[in-house]
Amino acid sequence: MLTLGHYLIASGLLFSVGFIGVLLRRNVIIIFMCLELMLSAANLSLVAFSRYNQTAGLPDYNGDVLVFFIITVAAAEVAVGLAIIVALFRSRQITDVTAMNSMKN
Amino acid sequence: MTALFYFFAFVMLAGGLGVVLTRSPVTSAFSMVVSFLGLAALFIMLHAYLIGTLQILVYAGAIMVLFLFIIMLLDLKAEEDRKISLFTVIGGALLVSVFASQIIKVVKALPAAAEAMPELSASASEDVKNTGLLMFTDYVFPLQIIGVLLLVATVGVIVLSKKELK
Amino acid sequence: MLQEYIPVLLQILIAGGFAAAALILSVIFGKSAARNPTKDSAYECGMLPVGPGQARFSVKFYLVAMLFVIFDIEVVFLYPWAVTFNELAAGAVEKGQNFFSESYAFFWGMTGFLGILFIAYLYALKKGALRWN
Repeated sequence: MLTLGHYLIASGLLFSVGFIGVLLRRNVIIIFMCLELMLSAANLSLVAFSRYNQTAGLPDYNGDVLVFFIITVAAAEVAVGLAIIVALFRSRQITDVTAMNSMKN
Repeated sequence: MTALFYFFAFVMLAGGLGVVLTRSPVTSAFSMVVSFLGLAALFIMLHAYLIGTLQILVYAGAIMVLFLFIIMLLDLKAEEDRKISLFTVIGGALLVSVFASQIIKVVKALPAAAEAMPELSASASEDVKNTGLLMFTDYVFPLQIIGVLLLVATVGVIVLSKKELK
Repeated sequence: MLQEYIPVLLQILIAGGFAAAALILSVIFGKSAARNPTKDSAYECGMLPVGPGQARFSVKFYLVAMLFVIFDIEVVFLYPWAVTFNELAAGAVEKGQNFFSESYAFFWGMTGFLGILFIAYLYALKKGALRWN
């Protein structure tokens, strides 16, 4: 029997996996991917709650609309974030976050 | 159903771990696609067909292609020598395990979390229509804001790479 | 309910089987042309390769790819709009209000959204982001 808790725990574990990636990895692109994982984990719990919080046999579609908007914003964020990473790489030739420690040069 | 849930949740989490643990960025990107496929399957199990399709179409289809593009553009090699200190690993693992155990504890304590998902009526499969009806009546103004955000993103991308456009 | 997904499962099996078969068959039949160092070296007066084998992509590709993602999102919004258009339009006609009234918000909302993204498209055109020299 599947409960709301199953989905919430799966979402929490995915969030933790993304979190540990952000903490441990040093390649800025991998960190960015892990951020996307965390965002998707939040989406999973939103959809699970929308499914659970039903009215008249239908899920609460406000949650689905919110997830739709989040995916949209995430795509725009990835486009700009990767443009920033490429600009950074072109000026300094680094992708290691520990090497990004100065404002100029 | 429950077996399928465990299978797809396993695929999702294994893909996520693949992103974190592999050294080659290309392998990470492909693990992420696997993770998103598992996640999309979970969305479809929750009767969110539109969101599941979107997850594959936008995340696995467009965003991950962009990531792979950038990895190839920057010609990233696998991190040959990761000098991560033991302190960082232990500290990070400790912090995340405390965080994960907190989430599990809170979910276990939530009375609603132990209930089975309620039954849905047959029209729940028309979720594209239902989402659309809501989006184009109550959420017209947020839609305009999303439009402005995409405009800003376009301008940002072009300005950030303007140098190459001479 | 799960029976409805059997075609999907079949397709996954066929796709996976096709990929696996292609890999396995190429290993089996490719043995006859096994590589060795002599075969891989440059022939007679051929040039020895220098530097990494992978060429970097030009930056133009990534700009186009990023613009693709942004306009891909625009198309994604059109999908639920197209599915609900008939129903929303019928509801608005039934109310019998003016075309510029609130019951036509679904139409003007999408027009505004597309209009804003058209400005983004014009900006990209003006800046030459889509020009390919």
